[in-house]
Amino acid sequence: MTVFRTFLKVLKACIVPIILYTVILVAFGGFNMKTSDTSTAFVSSKPDIFIVNNDTKNPLTNNLIQYISENSNIIDIENDEEKINDALFYRDVNYIIYIPKNYGEDFFNGKDPKIEIKSTGDYQASLAEMILSRYIKVANIYKDVVDTEEELISKINNTLEKQAEVEITSSLDTDNLSKATFYYNFASYSILAGCVYVICLILSSFQSDKIKKRTVISSMNYKKYNRDLLLSNSLFAIVLWMFYVLLSIILVGNVMFTMHGLVYIANAFVFTICGLTIAFLIGNLVNNKNAINGIVNVIALGSSFLCGAFVPMEFLPDSVLKVAHILPTYYYISSNEMIAKLETFSIEAMRPIITNMIIIVVFSVIFVILSNIVSKRKQKIG
Amino acid sequence: MIHNFKYALKTLFKNKMLIFWTFAFPIILGTFFKMAFSNIEKNEKLDIIDIAIVENENFNQNFAFKETFKVLSDKESEDRLFNTVYVTEKEAKNLLDEDKIIGYLILEDEPKVVVKTSGIDETILKYVTEEITQTEETMRNVAEYEFRQEIEKNPVEASNLNSIYASVYQKVIEMTKEGSTNIENISSANLSYTMIEYYTLIAMACLYGGILGMVSVNQNLANMSSNGKRVAVSPTSKGKLIFSSVLASYITQIIGVALLFLYTILILKVDYGENLLLIILLALVGCLAGLSLGIVIACVFKTNDNAKTGIVIAVTMVGCFLSGMMGITMKYIVDKNIPIINKLNPASMITDGFYSLYYYDTLDRYYFNIASLFIFSLVMIGISIFSLRRQQYDSI
Repeated sequence: MTVFRTFLKVLKACIVPIILYTVILVAFGGFNMKTSDTSTAFVSSKPDIFIVNNDTKNPLTNNLIQYISENSNIIDIENDEEKINDALFYRDVNYIIYIPKNYGEDFFNGKDPKIEIKSTGDYQASLAEMILSRYIKVANIYKDVVDTEEELISKINNTLEKQAEVEITSSLDTDNLSKATFYYNFASYSILAGCVYVICLILSSFQSDKIKKRTVISSMNYKKYNRDLLLSNSLFAIVLWMFYVLLSIILVGNVMFTMHGLVYIANAFVFTICGLTIAFLIGNLVNNKNAINGIVNVIALGSSFLCGAFVPMEFLPDSVLKVAHILPTYYYISSNEMIAKLETFSIEAMRPIITNMIIIVVFSVIFVILSNIVSKRKQKIG
Repeated sequence: MIHNFKYALKTLFKNKMLIFWTFAFPIILGTFFKMAFSNIEKNEKLDIIDIAIVENENFNQNFAFKETFKVLSDKESEDRLFNTVYVTEKEAKNLLDEDKIIGYLILEDEPKVVVKTSGIDETILKYVTEEITQTEETMRNVAEYEFRQEIEKNPVEASNLNSIYASVYQKVIEMTKEGSTNIENISSANLSYTMIEYYTLIAMACLYGGILGMVSVNQNLANMSSNGKRVAVSPTSKGKLIFSSVLASYITQIIGVALLFLYTILILKVDYGENLLLIILLALVGCLAGLSLGIVIACVFKTNDNAKTGIVIAVTMVGCFLSGMMGITMKYIVDKNIPIINKLNPASMITDGFYSLYYYDTLDRYYFNIASLFIFSLVMIGISIFSLRRQQYDSI
């Protein structure tokens, strides 16, 4: 109990950084998890397009714009070249279309006027280009065989109306699941940083010279002392975990009450325990309070960047992912990614996730052993 | 004065925590950025999409579908869009279940696309399928029209009908093939938005330099340390003392930022644009802004060293957050909605300066940022001088 009471006292002092890490999580979580309607029907992806129209009165041009706006999100920006360029750079729009003066008329008269575009060159922009060029292609063909603009417009519209039938096979609520995955991936940073920061600070208080000397000469066995400390730290870690689970229920919503949600929570629990043992090891190694801040940042940020907590794993270079295999966060995050794709909960389907959890537990055991070795060594004070 | 300068420099370099935060931390963070972001933009380019086509009778008889997918899956072609396998319906289903393909196409009475979820690859498959049906429809319409024209021109001779038909068909095929589009891409080549991350990193390093300025000013403040008390009673003019300390920290800071620059340019391959002199100018002015920020915090707040460091770090981090370090869009959102914040935020001025050098051809925006940084520094230094003047203690 003595150990535990001291523990609580120190914990009170470092409530601010815990709040800070949580705020970061909520801020980013909320920021990146835009809510969208969940549906099991097919929804076409729509690129973000901005149109600078210098040919406002022509029906053919208007029809082109009409067609593009039906198949894309028209973004509202101020028509100012610098604002447009900024928007393109920061991917607020993927594709900008400049329609020249008299475009519709010139087009109808076969002058083949030029449309200028600006493009981010990514997936969405390619899609936008498909939409634009499809319209022009169809219009180009029809314009030789019609007499009036109205006829041309109605022919184009009739043709472009034809849609392909799309069937969707998966019944997973992918949208909410990817939200949950994002949240729990990001939480790995908050959990690790929170654990390491707080626990290191607490341990370093316990390790300060005078207190350390008093403990070492006391009758308490170093194993019991370590166990008590580990237990009270575990309590802290579990509270932290419960807190983040609660937060996920608020932020992600109903998905957390399904089987999927349960596996996310279990996975996070195993990871929290691992974070705790890492913190314990570092706390035993480092006694300098000033250094803790740096170490927390390097370890938590490092493993989050390397293992795909911030940037999804699929975007990381293979070499980075290979290195990430030596970090427990990697197994935690790859489990999260797998959960999102899980359709059934048979043992067979769960096997890779369970394997990952076991690996994380093995990591934890190794960290515990290491910290026991370190703390045994450090008992001898010169 | 030179004596004080020398010792100020020595003290700074001996302070390990200081050197970690100002020298090593930005470099470590930059390395993380590189690891995490180097592939993002590559992945955003249109990749080849794995699909399957159910090879049934309808498909084999449909020339348009067969030909189009063959062309779009051509390994030699630059415009290759798909990696197509031709299988039975059952195999296609299996492939889809195993995530080997994103979807498959099956031609029944109407073409049907089967996918697992909604998404951009899936949308592209849908678009291509639609385009083929639409082109077919166009061809039919045009052929009909041409046919009527031909018949009007030379009234029907039954024997001629076939040859007319052939020529019309040929013409229509030519037309659809030609269906070129006159679109010109005029976007800047420098569109790599992850560069912003590195720019905010430089901004962070510049502002973290404020800690150096703060520490060296603290050394001279009588209310901060016994060292400061000793310095304060010395006969040297205080202006000289502070100036030489600040100069020492400015130089330390510049060495740190220079190292970061070398590292980002040579190892991380960050693109700062072409104009080296302007880049250096921006870095120097940025450091000055960071330094003056640190000095103000040292002078105005009357607390201990740690709290002052905390304030510098907090101000820097908030500034960097607003200028896009933790999410590039943040800077854009602030710029678009509440531009005044980033006009006052030194981190954003530095980031925006680099951004305008990289992305824009004109230099107006760059000079605007340089001027803002100068004004910011001058205001900060003014405040510091004002609060440092005539400080006297009867007892401490």
